[in-house]
Amino acid sequence: MTNKTSILSGRRTKSLVERIMNIIFLVCGLASVVSVVFMTVYMVVSGGAIIAETGVFRFLLGHVWNPGGSEFGILPMILSSVLATLGAVLIALPVGVLIAVFLAKLSPGKLATAMRAFIDLLAGIPSVIYGLLGALLLVPAIFKLQAAAGLPNSGSLLAAIVILVIMILPTIISVSETAIRSVPKQYEEAALALGSTRLQAIFKVTVPAAKSGIVAGMVLGTGRAIGEAMAVMMVSGNAAIMPELLRPVRLLTAAIPIEWAYSSGLHRQALYGIGLVLFVFIMVINLLLRQVMKKGGAQDE
Amino acid sequence: MKKTFSLILAAVLVAISVAGCGTKSGNTTPTPSSAPTDASTPTPTAANLSGGVKTGGSTSVEKVMTALIYQFQADNREVTVDYEMNGSGDGIKNTISGLYELGHSSRELKSDGSEDGLTATAYAIDGIAVVVHKDNSIATLTAAQLRGIYTGEITNWKEVGGSDALITVVTREEGSGTRSAFSELIGFKEAEILTSATVQDSTGAVQTTVSQNPNAIGYISFSDADTSKVNTVPYEGVAVSEAALKDGSYKLKREFYLLTKTGSTLSPAAQAFFDFVLSAEGQKIVSEKGLLPIR
Repeated sequence: MTNKTSILSGRRTKSLVERIMNIIFLVCGLASVVSVVFMTVYMVVSGGAIIAETGVFRFLLGHVWNPGGSEFGILPMILSSVLATLGAVLIALPVGVLIAVFLAKLSPGKLATAMRAFIDLLAGIPSVIYGLLGALLLVPAIFKLQAAAGLPNSGSLLAAIVILVIMILPTIISVSETAIRSVPKQYEEAALALGSTRLQAIFKVTVPAAKSGIVAGMVLGTGRAIGEAMAVMMVSGNAAIMPELLRPVRLLTAAIPIEWAYSSGLHRQALYGIGLVLFVFIMVINLLLRQVMKKGGAQDE
Repeated sequence: MKKTFSLILAAVLVAISVAGCGTKSGNTTPTPSSAPTDASTPTPTAANLSGGVKTGGSTSVEKVMTALIYQFQADNREVTVDYEMNGSGDGIKNTISGLYELGHSSRELKSDGSEDGLTATAYAIDGIAVVVHKDNSIATLTAAQLRGIYTGEITNWKEVGGSDALITVVTREEGSGTRSAFSELIGFKEAEILTSATVQDSTGAVQTTVSQNPNAIGYISFSDADTSKVNTVPYEGVAVSEAALKDGSYKLKREFYLLTKTGSTLSPAAQAFFDFVLSAEGQKIVSEKGLLPIR
């Protein structure tokens, strides 16, 4: 037996491979950093042009969007986006958390597995499908409300909110469920031992303990809602006016694709500017998320 | 054993992807499988033509232009005509800058000097149809009524002879050629369009929106109007039809243009395409697509 295997054999080639692989991993890691940096610079440069042209306040706080007349006020769109997102999160959060509690704690195993599969499916449906169903079923369903309110039938902020609720529910449910599941069983058992009922234990002990995870789910859902374009564009009516629940609204995301094709010059720069505003929104939401996660981590210690 | 297998697998995958690329690039070169009637006996000019013609502009002309390009390339196998769809504005701009040899526009050139140096040659007339829901049988609308509806002075169908219901105004997005043509023909500024009007970014989206909303009104290209989905409204008492467009009695119409740089000579391939569009064969395709030929 001359063929002895040793962990020392081929040490040099091994360490060479290690080093090369290290470099490859570094390059891969840098790729994402570089693309984010590139996008940030690109958005700031191309989106900043319109702001330099019209001034921050006239761009962000202007009421009138009339590119033909060189008026680029995007306040109506900012407010519409914020309201649609806020409305969607306010509805989706309680519903999502209750579903998550049901899945994590209350449902029999098989039902929960089946439900989870459906929720995952919901998350994977392309947004254009949501938009299509929204335009065909949801928007006409709101016609009656609009008629009762003395408004013409059209797409509306309400339709956008309902669509967004359905779209962000899977995110909120799955993140909240994971958070609820990760709360140590002993907490709940201790509460039960002290004489609380099952529901008391869940809602007074487990859910508060999972708070940071649930907030993370909410922030993720907010990010998804504010960034959604296709589905809301198909149900919101896209009128660039101050938002009202039953009137058509144009969200920031929809504003870009709807006018992109025929835009040029200052108009196109203004669309880049809208992109920059959205970019900032998403950045803020991301920072918020990191903050929440950090706090949550500290709490667990 | 495992290693050999993965090697073979990798080789197969590479082979497949290479083959895939091959067929893909084969598809992009325009070689229609069905030979046109006159391809067997090519005319002398057709045999000599080769190269690419860069064109681009209006999206409104898409249907007719893709049909024209398809037939032209079938007749001239060595010529490739590109068509970038990015709107009349870009078509005009990029023809001035020389990026496109031929530009497409669905509106007239502006006379304020910003679009000088181009020659616009009309090759087709497109009617704009005013459309309403299938259940809406409004008899006719005048230019003044349409102006009132689109500027928000008229808000109820009963004011124009319809039932008592609020009007949902549907319009195209800022920059659309159909939108500027419509507002110009009716006689109001684009900035005057009711700000709460529903905005859709394509002919199809306008038609779908109107087909679902009993109180909606919209405007689209006549060639795209599908009367199984929506009703077309007579304009100034004249129903839109090919006959009415041809005899000029229906006034809500615009022209499609090929743009060339004034005074410059086109490449032989571009000139041949230009001539083809205005030829009897090209004009036949124009009328097959629901437009009114210019010749």
